[in-house]
Amino acid sequence: MKDKKLLFVTQFEGLWFDALQSLMDLRKAGFNHTVFLHVIERDKVAMRRGKGYLKDEEVKLREMANVRFIDWAESLFEQGMEVGAYIVVGNPLPKIISTAAEEDVDLIVTGRHKKGKFEELYGGSETLEILERTSTPVLVYKYMLPSGKVNERPFERPLLTMDWSPASEKAVEYLLSFKGVLKKVIAVHVIGEKEFKSTSAMEIQSLRKENKQKLEEVCSVFEKEGIEAESHLYVGNTFEQIEKAASEREATMIVAGTTGKSPLKEIFLGSVATKLTKHSMLPTLLVPASVKL
Amino acid sequence: MSRRVLTVDDDPDITMFVKTVLEENGYTPLIARNGETGLSVAREEAPDLIILDVLMPKQSGIRMYRELKSDDSLKGIPVIILSGIAKRTFLRSQEALTEFGDQPIPEPDVYIEKPVEPLELAETVKRLIG
Repeated sequence: MKDKKLLFVTQFEGLWFDALQSLMDLRKAGFNHTVFLHVIERDKVAMRRGKGYLKDEEVKLREMANVRFIDWAESLFEQGMEVGAYIVVGNPLPKIISTAAEEDVDLIVTGRHKKGKFEELYGGSETLEILERTSTPVLVYKYMLPSGKVNERPFERPLLTMDWSPASEKAVEYLLSFKGVLKKVIAVHVIGEKEFKSTSAMEIQSLRKENKQKLEEVCSVFEKEGIEAESHLYVGNTFEQIEKAASEREATMIVAGTTGKSPLKEIFLGSVATKLTKHSMLPTLLVPASVKL
Repeated sequence: MSRRVLTVDDDPDITMFVKTVLEENGYTPLIARNGETGLSVAREEAPDLIILDVLMPKQSGIRMYRELKSDDSLKGIPVIILSGIAKRTFLRSQEALTEFGDQPIPEPDVYIEKPVEPLELAETVKRLIG
C-alpha cells in the first residue's frame, strides 16, 4: 500500500515539534511520509532601496529553518518515517498549493497564528482557498490547552459536524480512512433557529426525529468499522453550538465538510468553516467536497 | 573514460560544490535533485559512485539507499552519504525499517556529516573508485 503523505507547513511561530509528534499516531492510518514546508516570506528578503535583494538574509533564514528541520527529521527518521523538506522563498499560499501538488499529499497541516500576516493565512479565508484549489483536506492546528501544549492524540475523539451536504458526506468517508486512530466519533447536527419558524410542535418533533435518524445512520457507518460513535442534536447558532458540543462532549478536534465556494463568498456568507478555522479552540479538520478518496 | 559520480542532493549550492570538486579531480559528475530521480539516473547511467544526501523532497536518501542496496544491478555501487543528518540517525532509521519487515542492508561505505572540505571529499572519492 502506498504511504500516505502529510504536508506540515510551519513558520516556527505557532506550529512546533510537539504538534508534529502528536500527529505521529496517524501512522496507524497509513501516514508514513511527512513533508516539511517552510516559506520565507518574500517581504523579508525583497529588494530594498540601496541594498538590493537581501541574499545574506535569505541564507540566514534558510539555514535557521534547515537546522530545525534536520532536528525534527532525525526524530522522525529514527521512528522509521519517511521525511522530506522544502524551504522556499515566496508567497505562502501558492507555495503551499504547489508543494501539495508536487508531493501529491493526502493532508495539509497548518497552524493558526495570533499576529501578523500568517494570522490571515492560516486563520480563515486563505485556508479555504487552499481547500478550493487543491482538493486536499486541511487540518488547522491549535494550541488549545491552557498550558500551551497540544493534545497528544487529536484524532481520538473527533466531533463530526453534519449539515447533510455532499461535503459533510465526504467528511464521513474521509474520517473513516483514519480507522485505527479514532476512538470515538461524536456526530453532531445543529438545527438552526430559522427552521423552527411557523412550525407546529408536531413538525418540530418530526424535524428532530428525521435529523436524529440521519445521525444514527452516520454512527452506524463508523460502528460497522469497529469505531465507537455517538450522536447529538443541538439547536441554535451553528458555530456556537458546535463549540458548545465540542466542549460538553470533550472532543479533541472538529471535522467539517466545506462546500468549495469561493473564499470571498464564504466570508460574505459567514461560513461555519471560516468561523471554526478562525475562532475555535480545537484543531479543525476541513474536508472539501472535491476530496479524492 | 573518466569515472562517473552521481550526486543526489536538493541543495543547488551543494551540488555545485561537489560538481566542482569532482571535475577538478577528473571525474564526470551526474546530478539528481531527489531520491526518486536519483534512482532512475542510477538505473540508466550505472555510475561508478553515488554521493547521497538524506533529507530531500519526494524520496529521502534513506529510502533511496535502501532501494539501491536491494537492487541486484545497483547494490555493488559504492555510496558516500553526505548529509546534515547524523550517522546514528541514518543507521537507526535503517534498523527501524528492518523491524517493519524490510531486509537488513549493509552500512554505507562512507558517511560524512556536512560540511565537508574539498580535499576530504576528493580523497574519499579517490579511495573508493580510484
